[in-house]
Amino acid sequence: MHRRSLLLGATASALAAPSIARASAPAGLVYVLDSRDATVSVIDAARGEVVRRTPALREPHHLVYSPDRAEIVVGDSAGNEFLFLEPDTGAIRRTLRVSNPYHLMYSPNAQWLTVASLRRNQIDLYRADDLTLVHRLAMPRLPSHIAWSADSRITYVTLQNSNALVAVEAESARVLWRQPTGDTPAGVVMSPTGALLVANMGEDTVSEIDPETGATIRKVRTGAGAHNLFPSPDGLFFYVTNRVAGTITALDSESLSVLAQFRAPGAPDCLDFSPDGRQLWFTQRVGNRVGVIDIETGGLVAQIRVGRSPHGILFHAMG
Amino acid sequence: MIQAIADGYVALKEAIFEHALLPALYAAGLMAWEEDAAEWLDFALFGALAVLVSILVCAPLERLRPVERWDGGTSTVGTDVTYTLLNRLGLLPLFAFVILQPVETAWAAGLARLGVIPPTLETVVPALRDWPVVTFLLYVVILDFAEYWRHRFQHRFDWWWALHSVHHAQRQMTFWTDDRNHLFDDIIAALWFAGVATLIGVPPGQFPLLALVMRVAESLSHANVRLAFGRIGRFVVVSPHFHRIHHALDHDAGVPARVHGTNFAVLLPVWDVIFGTARFSPGYPRTGDASGSERLATGSWWGTQVEGARRLLRTLAGRG
Repeated sequence: MHRRSLLLGATASALAAPSIARASAPAGLVYVLDSRDATVSVIDAARGEVVRRTPALREPHHLVYSPDRAEIVVGDSAGNEFLFLEPDTGAIRRTLRVSNPYHLMYSPNAQWLTVASLRRNQIDLYRADDLTLVHRLAMPRLPSHIAWSADSRITYVTLQNSNALVAVEAESARVLWRQPTGDTPAGVVMSPTGALLVANMGEDTVSEIDPETGATIRKVRTGAGAHNLFPSPDGLFFYVTNRVAGTITALDSESLSVLAQFRAPGAPDCLDFSPDGRQLWFTQRVGNRVGVIDIETGGLVAQIRVGRSPHGILFHAMG
Repeated sequence: MIQAIADGYVALKEAIFEHALLPALYAAGLMAWEEDAAEWLDFALFGALAVLVSILVCAPLERLRPVERWDGGTSTVGTDVTYTLLNRLGLLPLFAFVILQPVETAWAAGLARLGVIPPTLETVVPALRDWPVVTFLLYVVILDFAEYWRHRFQHRFDWWWALHSVHHAQRQMTFWTDDRNHLFDDIIAALWFAGVATLIGVPPGQFPLLALVMRVAESLSHANVRLAFGRIGRFVVVSPHFHRIHHALDHDAGVPARVHGTNFAVLLPVWDVIFGTARFSPGYPRTGDASGSERLATGSWWGTQVEGARRLLRTLAGRG
């Protein structure tokens, strides 16, 4: 995706009319976690319709591919379990009892799995191959979202109600540093420049942070309630969901300059991309819908009804 | 029809949250509570809907077949309306949540450190995963059983009765009386529920319609209406007649209801049948607590709260 098209998209966003057909989504299934309905809605991306509801146990929030991409791992926090889904169908292959898995992320070398237990103020480190618990660390209030260093040595977790980011060495479980970020930090990612980016939900900013020291390098303004941020498939952009502003901001991944703002109603939360990078699918936490934005035009081209309080989302390409 | 109501509910919640609550939390620097706030908004809207449905179901019945009429005298029903609104709209439960949430987190974290993961019914009986409605109803039965015993203990222990007498003091019992409870009693109830949830997990939350029916049934059981559920129905669900006997001012020998307690069940009378506390006597007795003070019976929300606390302190001091 060329940066110029994003700028054009920003101006066109208000004019777009909802129509999934216009968007011509690639084939695939979109997995949406209906956290308050305890279900996983499976959407046929091309048709824009929910084709399956897979039951979870109590409250699924986040999901990731297993390192070999053979399974989708769903964290059901209040249900205290992982669901392992067959990606091409959405069927449950197996379940595993674990403690309060809210957010989860594998290390780049597929050796570790970090789990943030939001409601237990704990960070758990599992061995990725057999999911044996290796370390459980007590944390200040609300460990929320996770990132990993490129060398898989350090896991970073935002502490949402402690206004801080913590760096933990995986092997030793040693806390390397805990530094203030902004108000109510939520999403965190590692940028291509090697800096950490943290979305501050109590502000309208994304903090750029030195991963060695935890020091804040600068803050970039995106929109009120900056909640989470995601790299585009080509790595050129970051997209930031702004919960209060009801927008999604496109940032240049290197300069962090704001390239576009898209309208995103319903309290936007998590997002994922169609494999060609042309569409952005995002969950609307209070709207009980998934929104689809055509990145070229910036238009909200579809809104698909799912279950209550949709949170994590994953676009699984097929065909 | 149901879909239209559901759609309207979602649209209302979205409008309130997106345009009022969320900006307010942001402005107040309280975004860390944003997810909890969304849940409380759900609680409050659901509570408002439950109150509305309770009014639609119970008020006509109370007008058509009242047990008692209180024309001319001073009405104390308004106090119970206050109790109901404070409870159902989430204000008092929010207070309990703020107090108990850190306790609940510490408790769950402590169990996790010990390697304990609380079970759910579905993890004990995996076949239940394919039967979510059945699972929900099983939770209803187990939690109702726990509530039966909590209610018996409320009558059994002096200090607990001091609090629970706030509920029994009402002499003008209506469907609004269901929520008339002392704040400390509500906190104990939340702890009781948390204890049970540690053993069997929390019930699934995806059946709001069933939860609504149960809430209305609990309100109806307090209604000022001549209504029993027949020879079979009386064993199935607690009726206004069955529960009025529990609230009777005096029993046969003039002994206060507290001592010869009967009909403790909240939803399912079968517990009283099993444990020998069921009583299906005819008639619709007057309600109230002969041992309570006038302020407890006719006071405002605040007055009854203060009086309940005083009664608790006197009991603990051995002067109750």
